[in-house]
Amino acid sequence: MTLAANHIPMLCIKNLILHFDDGKTRAIDGVDLEIDAGEFVAIVGPSGSGKSSLLNIIGTLELPSDGDIMLENQHYSTIKDASLFRRANIGFIFQSFNLIPTLSALDNVIIPTMGCGGDVDKYTARAESLLSQLGLRDRLSQFPSKLSGGERQRVAIARALINQPRMILADEPTGSLDSVNAGQVLDILAEVVKQQGLTLIMVTHDSAVSARADRIIYMRDGKIEQGGTA
Amino acid sequence: MSLMQFALNNLLRRPARTVLTVSAISLGIAAIVALTSIAWGFEASWQKANDARGTDLIVTRISSENTMPSPFRAEKIQAALSVLPHVQEVVGLLSELLSVSADGPPVFVFGWLHDSYLWNHLKLSQGRWPNDNKEPVVVIGALAAEMLNKKIGEHVEIEGKSFLVSGIFESNAVVENGAVIMTLAQAQQVTDKPGKVNVLNLKVDSSTNEADLRNIKQQVKHTLPGYIAITSGELVSKNAVVRISKAMSSATILISSLVGALVVFNTMLMSINERTREIGILLALGWQRITIMKLIFSEAVMLTMLGGMMGILGGVAIALGLEQIELMRGKIDALFSVPFFVLVLGLSVFLGICGGIYPAYKASRLLPSAALRYE
Repeated sequence: MTLAANHIPMLCIKNLILHFDDGKTRAIDGVDLEIDAGEFVAIVGPSGSGKSSLLNIIGTLELPSDGDIMLENQHYSTIKDASLFRRANIGFIFQSFNLIPTLSALDNVIIPTMGCGGDVDKYTARAESLLSQLGLRDRLSQFPSKLSGGERQRVAIARALINQPRMILADEPTGSLDSVNAGQVLDILAEVVKQQGLTLIMVTHDSAVSARADRIIYMRDGKIEQGGTA
Repeated sequence: MSLMQFALNNLLRRPARTVLTVSAISLGIAAIVALTSIAWGFEASWQKANDARGTDLIVTRISSENTMPSPFRAEKIQAALSVLPHVQEVVGLLSELLSVSADGPPVFVFGWLHDSYLWNHLKLSQGRWPNDNKEPVVVIGALAAEMLNKKIGEHVEIEGKSFLVSGIFESNAVVENGAVIMTLAQAQQVTDKPGKVNVLNLKVDSSTNEADLRNIKQQVKHTLPGYIAITSGELVSKNAVVRISKAMSSATILISSLVGALVVFNTMLMSINERTREIGILLALGWQRITIMKLIFSEAVMLTMLGGMMGILGGVAIALGLEQIELMRGKIDALFSVPFFVLVLGLSVFLGICGGIYPAYKASRLLPSAALRYE
């Protein structure tokens, strides 16, 4: 038996379909995709090509119309509580940061842990450590309105990492930043992901960003045109 | 940061709306507390007055439902009652709500049989009691003396007749403290009701037990058609004014509860509509739907708890204020109790839960992907 035959991808998507309007509109049209653990994958393509929909389905924010999707042998169709699944496996980073405006940077990072009954002190210490690691040690008590765009996105990165997920899903994480901040955020994200051995799936329009990925997947009209297999 | 702190944070995000919502709830709760404590206080004041006199049973007309039952000729009834087993004393009492000065508020004027046991519980603080049935004097309660601004040796004018204030007394019952008392004969004369009383007070001997009292009630029922023997508690609770007060209090509870729940409902619905995207973020970050519901319920219950606490304070203040109104002084004694306040706080929490059910459900059912797209 060869190594290739034993190869089991971390994320395996088969014939994924997402349609609207009773099947008249296909946002995702028969996508097959395999992504390995620790891989940095960029999904690129024109607007409306299905990138964000694919990311939403991988993140269990949206249900597919058909097809199979599996994360480390767990079929999504068998997930009983998508929230718990997300909390255990997935960290999200959004283009518009999506921080809670009335919470400090530290509380924004802690918020995904709320209501899960864990050790609050442990989470607080971890949030402080993450923010320090991302260069925000002296900004813990600042509210989002007092932070720059780059700082906000770093808070969002820390928030995505607080539950120690296996996979980070980033939807245009540098889309709202200038090129200097975008570069810094990308450097930090790439470094943290590498350090912790996480899988990073990033939707982007920016070719400079996608150029840093291990693999680039091109999507058009809901289909993968190139890069679907590791 | 805990869920509660986050909920509080969300409420403080819109301080004006939170203050308005809490104010609306506290007004409703204040109305409940004020009206209920006055209704109960009214009942308790009259019962306290009857109990303080040491009366075991009261005989009155069956159909009478006024604060003081309508007067009847006492002589034959009194004679019939006097011969019943265990009955020690049968004492008539006449009462009217009358103006005793041109510019003062109306006060209760009681006519009590001279030398009867009715006087025993009063504590004379100044002056003296009436010497006999014929002496045209009154004794006034401490509160009535203050309200009427009268001292010993001065006169009060009742129904055109002048009475000397011979003494000032104190009683445990606010109804008596705010009253003017004269002998029964004087009261019958000045109100033009010779031989009439509102009630006959029965005092029984010490060997009387519950079965004996029931027996006396039965005998009155069978031998004195149109009359009834009841305890002071029964007399007060069948009183139309008490029943109307309680009905008004119940109606207030119902209306205030509905308004309170609707106010919370509206506030929470507005709040979650504004925070749709934020709820989507929380769901995306792994919050369970039950945690979203807990957050919304926490916010709703915090609003109503705060409104409830402020409402209780406000209700107590309103009731105490009403007691001081000239027309009400000496007639009501608002009744406050810790169990009642706990119950009101419980009602507040219940309102929060009721008002929060649909908004919490709606928030928890949001689809994270749709909520995240919400602008």
